[in-house]
Amino acid sequence: MIAAEIEDLLRRLTPQVLSAVVRRYGNFDLAEDATQEALLVALVQWPRDGMPENPKGWLVAVASRRLTDLLRSEQARRRREDTVARRALAERSATQADERRSGETDDTLVLLFMCCHPSLSAASQIALTLRAVGGLSTAEIARALLGSEQTVTRRITRAKQSIRDSGVAFALPAANTVAGRLQAVLRVLYLIFNEGYASTTGTALVRVDLAEQAIRLARMLHAALPDDSEVTGLLALMLLVHARHRARTAPDGWLIPMADQDRSLWDRRGIDEGIALITAALPRGPTGPYQLQAAIAAVHDEAKSAETTDWPQIAALYGVLLRLDDNPVVALNHAVAVSMVAGPRAGLVLLQRLEADSRINADRRFHAVRGHLLETAGDHAAALEAYQAASQVATNLQQQRYLNQQIARLSSSGTQATG
Amino acid sequence: MKYMILTFASQRHYQEMAGRPTSKAAWTQEDWAALGAFMQTFNQELLDSGELVETRGLSAPAHTRRVQFKQGVPVVTDGPYAEAEEVLAGYWVVECESFDRATEIASRLGSCPGPEHVRARAYADVRPIDEHQPDFEG
Repeated sequence: MIAAEIEDLLRRLTPQVLSAVVRRYGNFDLAEDATQEALLVALVQWPRDGMPENPKGWLVAVASRRLTDLLRSEQARRRREDTVARRALAERSATQADERRSGETDDTLVLLFMCCHPSLSAASQIALTLRAVGGLSTAEIARALLGSEQTVTRRITRAKQSIRDSGVAFALPAANTVAGRLQAVLRVLYLIFNEGYASTTGTALVRVDLAEQAIRLARMLHAALPDDSEVTGLLALMLLVHARHRARTAPDGWLIPMADQDRSLWDRRGIDEGIALITAALPRGPTGPYQLQAAIAAVHDEAKSAETTDWPQIAALYGVLLRLDDNPVVALNHAVAVSMVAGPRAGLVLLQRLEADSRINADRRFHAVRGHLLETAGDHAAALEAYQAASQVATNLQQQRYLNQQIARLSSSGTQATG
Repeated sequence: MKYMILTFASQRHYQEMAGRPTSKAAWTQEDWAALGAFMQTFNQELLDSGELVETRGLSAPAHTRRVQFKQGVPVVTDGPYAEAEEVLAGYWVVECESFDRATEIASRLGSCPGPEHVRARAYADVRPIDEHQPDFEG
């Protein structure tokens, strides 16, 4: 087995090993450290000495031994500090642990709920999920998030402290809170995915790995909850967006907008899988925002060219999404889609409703879309003003360049006419 | 040891980069593509060597807000810099074996493509990061 395969296997086994150790000993925070250390030992030993016969059992045994050491030294420390609270070292009976043992997918689910606990900050939820469920090391997480290792370590430590302090049990949340808690898990996975797509100058390609980790986690969640349409929708959305990633960045590192992308670079397999998932999920209901966004991404992905995109369907989907989620960016996308179907004036009418919305009316995107629609409608003077307003507030150089090109184009063609 | 490499630019430079001429010409599409390609390679190499901790580019100085404290009351000024004033434009945090190695990395920024008037005046600072932290726990 080559190193990359071992690494893959270790990442896959991480949540299973961690769950087994937590079920046996409780104590999530130290069990998580012990599991990480067992992974490190495996990473060194397995390529050298060969794979153990039962890799998961091997890891559980090593992690348990390590945890026993950690618990002993913590107990000793606590005795020294004369702390009242002392933790039981006794191993829970194996039969009890076995009785409560459910499937591996359920364990993953319990871990995800734990790592995405609402009492944690988003940054902590992301770091802890990547480590405890994703099996990434702190260094890998720091590299993926473009942050320092110290920061990630601190976030994980703090997150585990608050989990310990809040006394969250290692079990599925109560039935009446599951839906809300699942929302938090979906949001964290989506944040991880989007973080993979945030880019700074010349580092766009670096973070593909993070998007792929998010997809892997979403697959695990989908395996645990195959009948949940929103979980399926989120996985489909990620696959359908990620399928375009190779066409998204120019060789010089700058981003290419979807309309200008070379669609032959889109990953057909990802698109097919995403479409199959969303096609199966939508009729099952209930329809939620992730499914709708996946459906919109699917319509884009199915189009052979920007021109042949099925805009009526996209406009209709944005309309439904807007009713579920009063989000000004969704409203903006809705207006664009409507203008593709019914012309720029129809889009501008919709934009008028956003003019008083302080969440978006000072935003670059609002002015840029307005400029584009005004220009298409033939009102070049007003379009120029809108592009100028957008350029004023744009903080990204590439977006500013795009807007300034529109301004230069309209100024040179329109100065004589508007004088 | 960790070091920070800092680069500088003025509002005018940003404006030229964004495609709007000042007394100097705006950056062409070729200038822009060359910058992107250079940064892509530069960052990828640092990442591959394991020396890159973090890198960010900052948006134009015009977007700066300065917060001053006048008799304990915070007073906010938008866009406090003069047009030609060179201010922090971006940074890299690198972790490498020596100050000389960090300096060598910064020297490679000398081949960053750009208009001649910018290249002639360009510089980068390399500063060691103060990492000493008191130990509270043994």
